[in-house]
Amino acid sequence: MAQPQVPVTVLTGYLGAGKTTLLNRILSEQHGKKYAVIVNEFGELGVDNDLVVNADEEVFEMNNGCICCTVRGDLIRIIEGLMKRKDKFDGILVETTGLADPGPVAQTFFTDEDVKAKTRLDAIVTVIDAKHFFGQLEQGSEAEQQVAFADVILLNKTDLVSADELAKVEDRIRGINRYARIFHTQKSQIELEAILDKGAFDLGRILEFEPDFLHSGHDHHHEDEVRSLSITADRPVDPDKFQKWMGALLQIKGADIFRSKGILAIDGAPRRYVYQGVHMMMDSAWGTPWKDGETRSSKLVFIGRNLDGDNLQRGFEDCLK
Amino acid sequence: MKIDLANPAWQQTLPPARSLAADAPVAACAFNRDGSTVAFALGDGQVRRLPADIAAPAPDAAPPVHSGVVLALVGDPTGDGFVSGGDDGRVLRIAADGSATELLAQKGKWIEHLVTHRTTGAVAASAGKTMFLFRDGEVREFGPHPSTVAGLDFSKDGSRVACAHYGGITVWSLSKDVALPPRRFAWQGSHVALRWSTDGKFIATGTQENDIHVWRVAQATDMRMQGYPAKVKSLSWTADARFLYTSSQPVFTAWPFSGKGPEGKPPLQFGDEGAGLMTVVAAHPAAEFVAGGYDSGELQLGDIRTKRSVVLKMADGASITCLAWSPDGFKLAVGNDRGDLLTVDLRR
Ligand SMILES: [Zn+2]
Repeated sequence: MAQPQVPVTVLTGYLGAGKTTLLNRILSEQHGKKYAVIVNEFGELGVDNDLVVNADEEVFEMNNGCICCTVRGDLIRIIEGLMKRKDKFDGILVETTGLADPGPVAQTFFTDEDVKAKTRLDAIVTVIDAKHFFGQLEQGSEAEQQVAFADVILLNKTDLVSADELAKVEDRIRGINRYARIFHTQKSQIELEAILDKGAFDLGRILEFEPDFLHSGHDHHHEDEVRSLSITADRPVDPDKFQKWMGALLQIKGADIFRSKGILAIDGAPRRYVYQGVHMMMDSAWGTPWKDGETRSSKLVFIGRNLDGDNLQRGFEDCLK
Repeated sequence: MKIDLANPAWQQTLPPARSLAADAPVAACAFNRDGSTVAFALGDGQVRRLPADIAAPAPDAAPPVHSGVVLALVGDPTGDGFVSGGDDGRVLRIAADGSATELLAQKGKWIEHLVTHRTTGAVAASAGKTMFLFRDGEVREFGPHPSTVAGLDFSKDGSRVACAHYGGITVWSLSKDVALPPRRFAWQGSHVALRWSTDGKFIATGTQENDIHVWRVAQATDMRMQGYPAKVKSLSWTADARFLYTSSQPVFTAWPFSGKGPEGKPPLQFGDEGAGLMTVVAAHPAAEFVAGGYDSGELQLGDIRTKRSVVLKMADGASITCLAWSPDGFKLAVGNDRGDLLTVDLRR
């Protein structure tokens, strides 16, 4: 059956941040759409609904011996099972546990062909408790990772902090991930259009989604902190050199690079070349054609840990004509 | 056997068949023990039962028995009906008159796999990380496994069940007299399908990473076959255990297990290319025939002795999801993801 791919939204965030409130709203509000929800703690939701599916977050390591190449096998099964239903969905929401690394969920959509044929990863939405965010950052790497992976951030419970505190939290979030779209919310109140069907992983919509995409810059950070940076170039890219460089970079630094994306002006090519990656897994495609007289510039974005901006810039420049 | 794969008429038209349209995808199909009834597991909770005789009138659809998708279906080894499993967490025994009795209810779990053992009358089901065994009116639990069980099968004599999961497989001894610890056969990654060979000597799995893994049960040695463009979710041993058929190739692909086994040899491949990728493969229950269903909707029948095959021109884009041979091997049930319920009569 040639069905359009069902968009999948991944919902991450610490326990108590407001994920359940948000899901309850999506399931109970009248919006004329039908969403299947995959949750990790059954019974947490107030709604008893046959569109709610329980998952166990079964992550497996792939057989390539690499620690970052992990996939949610349970999600593959569940999506396959949902597609056997008579009724089809407008979307699927996947809630992860408070301490989950969003990597395996996202990578599931890069790895499994059946999942890719029937669904598409739409966006990673992270809910943050404005009051407890700094405390959660100190408890481990999870809070930081959840921000790093996010396309959309709901900075929630803003009514529980002062304007000053809120500004500090937002600053810290921007320090980690300057490309995510941030919404201030109370009790997870948000227009659903703001978080659903965003096309954040859509190769054709990479430019559209990045509010800060065209700004390059190198801030000074501690080495091991998670941060985001971009690189630009105006000279055309040598595709072979780029492939070699990126391949080697992901081999060595893949575990530290959470998200990456880019638009390349390939030497002699009439179209943009776009790619999108999570750790070592990557999808790429030819994008829209360059217009006559348009500046053909390339842009790369990385969000990760231990990123050496100067080194990345030099590496990329070696790939230029 | 009176099946002629070279029947020239089949190149143009289907052999005699009955086709009905349901309005939900078909997840599984099966014949009952005596082959008189064929049934299809549907995505709307129905188990659609039809006379195996394609000339007999098809009765009206019965109301759904599961409250979600019927994910698994087998012929009842102890009666004339079927046993079904659904994403409502229930295992049901459906009698010949259509009445359903609940064998198991596991709220929040999905019953994705059911297997039976003909001579002992046992049924095994997977529900999450646990395997349930139904035999002589009793239910026993085995597990938990390291992850959700993604495939299971009985040994030839019915004394053991093997379960596939992350990191390998677990073989349980079912004996109630001697409590033997389960045996674990390890191979990293996610195993997504499992079939025990018809002679009991080998256990084959398909993995998430597009290869096949086979263990020699007695020696606990293993082998790996690579080169598939997709996950191999359908495995089928021939009745004589000489070949293991695998899906996910454009043609019939059979690994030889007689003599020294398949190591270092290419698989036997035959049949017509161009029908897309094989999604389901089912070796004939007695003879050297095989049926393959494609993602294009096409159906191919083959004969491994002559390497001849015939493509039944029914491709229309609805991917074939299940195949089942009748016990006598004369009929073939076929279901697809659009809801076509096909029963083909291959007698000449
Ligand atoms: Zn990796």
